[in-house]
Amino acid sequence: MKKSYEKPIILKLQTGFMNKYGSTPYYSRKTRSEIDGVPIDTLVTKFGSPLMVFSESSIRRTYNEVFRAFSTRYPSVTFGWSYKTNYLKAICSIFHQEGALAEVVSEMEYEKARKLGIPGKNIIFNGPHKPFEILKRAASENSMIHIDHFDELMELEQISQQLHKPVKVGLRLNMETGIHPQWSRFGFNLDTGQALDAVKRMKHGGKLILNGLHCHLGTFILDPQAYAEAIKKMVAFAYEIETHFGFKMEYLDIGGGFPSQNKLKSSYLPPELTILPLDEYAAKITNALYENLRPGDYPRLIIETGRALVDESGYMITTVITSKRLPDGRKAYVVDGGINLLFTSFWYKFNLEIDREVPGVNEPAVVYGPLCMNIDAIDEGTLLPSLPRGARLIVSPIGAYNVTQWMQFIEYRPNVVLIGQQGELDIIREREDLTDIDRREKLPPRLAYK
Amino acid sequence: MNRLTQLALSDEGFVFDPLTGESFTVNPTGLTILRGLKADRSLESIGREISDQFEALPEETERDITDFIHHLRTYHLL
Amino acid sequence: MDKQLVVAISGINAVDNPGPGVGVARSLKEDGDLNLKIIGLAYDAMEPGIYLDWLMDKTYIMPYPASGQQQFIERLQYIKHQSGLDFIIPTLDVELPLYIKYADKISQMGIKTFIPTMEQFRLRNKDCLPEIARRIGIKTPKTAVIHSFEGFSQTIKRLRLPLMIKGAFYKAYRAYTSQEAIGFYHRIVAEWGYPVIVQEVVAGDELNVVGVGDGKGFSLGSVGIKKMWITSQGKIWTGVTIKNRHMLEAAEKFTQLYKWQGAFEFECIVAGDDVYLIEINPRFPAWSYFATGVGHNLPSYMIRHVFNLPRLPAADYETGKLYIRYTYEQVTAMRPFQEMITRGEYSHEKIV
Repeated sequence: MKKSYEKPIILKLQTGFMNKYGSTPYYSRKTRSEIDGVPIDTLVTKFGSPLMVFSESSIRRTYNEVFRAFSTRYPSVTFGWSYKTNYLKAICSIFHQEGALAEVVSEMEYEKARKLGIPGKNIIFNGPHKPFEILKRAASENSMIHIDHFDELMELEQISQQLHKPVKVGLRLNMETGIHPQWSRFGFNLDTGQALDAVKRMKHGGKLILNGLHCHLGTFILDPQAYAEAIKKMVAFAYEIETHFGFKMEYLDIGGGFPSQNKLKSSYLPPELTILPLDEYAAKITNALYENLRPGDYPRLIIETGRALVDESGYMITTVITSKRLPDGRKAYVVDGGINLLFTSFWYKFNLEIDREVPGVNEPAVVYGPLCMNIDAIDEGTLLPSLPRGARLIVSPIGAYNVTQWMQFIEYRPNVVLIGQQGELDIIREREDLTDIDRREKLPPRLAYK
Repeated sequence: MNRLTQLALSDEGFVFDPLTGESFTVNPTGLTILRGLKADRSLESIGREISDQFEALPEETERDITDFIHHLRTYHLL
Repeated sequence: MDKQLVVAISGINAVDNPGPGVGVARSLKEDGDLNLKIIGLAYDAMEPGIYLDWLMDKTYIMPYPASGQQQFIERLQYIKHQSGLDFIIPTLDVELPLYIKYADKISQMGIKTFIPTMEQFRLRNKDCLPEIARRIGIKTPKTAVIHSFEGFSQTIKRLRLPLMIKGAFYKAYRAYTSQEAIGFYHRIVAEWGYPVIVQEVVAGDELNVVGVGDGKGFSLGSVGIKKMWITSQGKIWTGVTIKNRHMLEAAEKFTQLYKWQGAFEFECIVAGDDVYLIEINPRFPAWSYFATGVGHNLPSYMIRHVFNLPRLPAADYETGKLYIRYTYEQVTAMRPFQEMITRGEYSHEKIV
């Protein structure tokens, strides 16, 4: 009987790299033949490759887990779905069905939320760029506007005059909490008294009613203590405002920034060992509220976490187009989806899973995307067995920030599919074709090719 | 070819080059190719041997042997 | 003792920046009453411990902790199956989070460990040191934990040069200028990632304690030493036993207060009456054989405690005993290397 075939491989032993788990079959090699019970093969046959896939069950499960972590500890909790993390209509709708408000940061996102039927009062409007017209619309629709800077404050006073009604607003704060880099470019600084000046101005103007405080410390924050610090300062500020200016804070919005189970390139240990469960964040945050709030005072706690709710629910299926041997001896694979689709590859080291068991030893490999651009690499140093052309590599977690920050560059963007809770397969964003790119372009007749 | 002929090959796939002191590991198909090359056999005959011994399509084997030879060149073994 | 215990020890990389494993293995071999089989767990086929056949009965290559728990646990299962495995003494900082987090799973496999809990392990975080030092009545140098370069330059200004620049797990450099500090910072981030610890330099003698806590507030034994000569890597080359009452009491209080379980190393700087806590390492130090040499075989105490074996009579140690590290060469056949490469394991037992 013939022996099973493995592609021939020779590997040089290098000092410091003599660990056979670099080279032994079935170690550090993960396979994934399905997502939520749907075979990878079926997905690709139906919807093509590359393909972005989201799991509805996983989104709902994660949402409920995280929501429960907070709502079982504090009586009034609301989540705001951070549109910029993923604003595909279907994804937003899942979060809205689960009870999340819309958290938007631009005119486009505001219009998107309204088009989905979200009433203005359920939209949190953040961000440094809110053009006058959309700001006015948001004010007239009673959305929760978080003022980012003085010019916006003045504009809102003007809007209040035009609408003949006082406008309820929140104030975005930034502050020192031990987190670096400190996101001091958004909102008003608490430590220098800038925030207090803004409140004075509002009181003096008499047109705006301050009813909420907002802060957002940063992104991928690994230390929950920072949130506790922020809450301590926000609550103290809220009471100061109440005492001196008579504005009563109805809610505290602590933003987002919770980490997901993704491996940052700058972290040595895997996320399962470095990232605290979100339960610990919830405990720290709610404890800080109880420690600092007056007895019986429970302002609404708003949380706008994005990444932690959706990252692990997204996958990208890619197909190996070719492989080649690099001059340094490493194996290079070219797959059909690259950094054009995976913006987060700049800071994450993704899981790479193969759609099948491949015999043979692992060897050092690089995974390149399809772009004719040198920087298009999904993983510049991994270990893979010899993959045949046509093998699929499944990249995860990719649910956060990729389907919003991806580029229409060189390639068409692929289908995005949602696997429903009953196994339904729905395209939630169609693969692009030339008409998408062509539609907005104008060719002056004198330049037409003859 | 000189460096190749001096290589010490173990059945387990450990390769030692007494000329340079470098060590390598090689899998069974790779070992078959190395032994063939050491014996100065043609690539066609090595390919046939692999197809005879292992479950592999000749086209796949041919492409893989080419890649393996490239790899030997990057290590200056050829 | 009749039944043989199979004990695995990691950190057998006895190189110029030595892991603690070889010293621990040597200590265990010197307790003649214990019937032990020693398994070395290596991360690289070139770790010298693999080749020391008088200390190791068998050695295995382990997957790196960075590759995640699944492989790691599977490998331990395999070793348990092949060699039987009763006890593991992990001695490397980077693998401890894994052993601690999966301690239950490992124990369900019939493998014991005697390591700190996750809460205890977190005490070693540099930002916990001031609180610990306060509670056990000693001091601590000013310390900052940095997560990004932007925070770094401000910190240098605030804490004042010279400063110690340290990685969360490994590496510590002394920087005299901000250029040097920045260089060390980048070196640490490139190799070990964040956070980076910046610490004020305190002048004084470097005194250390090695000890084992029983997890209930008692100490199974401890020895205090002074590092007399350290290498350019900051590793002890010559040392001497000492009894600094203040420091030993602080270490005792630490064991008591935090109900420390397992081995620990207390690194202090002592200047007159002031004792500064620099670091707590939640494992045996690389010099733990020193304690064995002066009559406190701490690894053996640990095993006897865990397996309910008769305790060795309580002993004191003399001050003024010297510790001298030296280099030694081993010449061997290619065989062990070759097998560690191709099979990932090697047994010294079969060579008769």
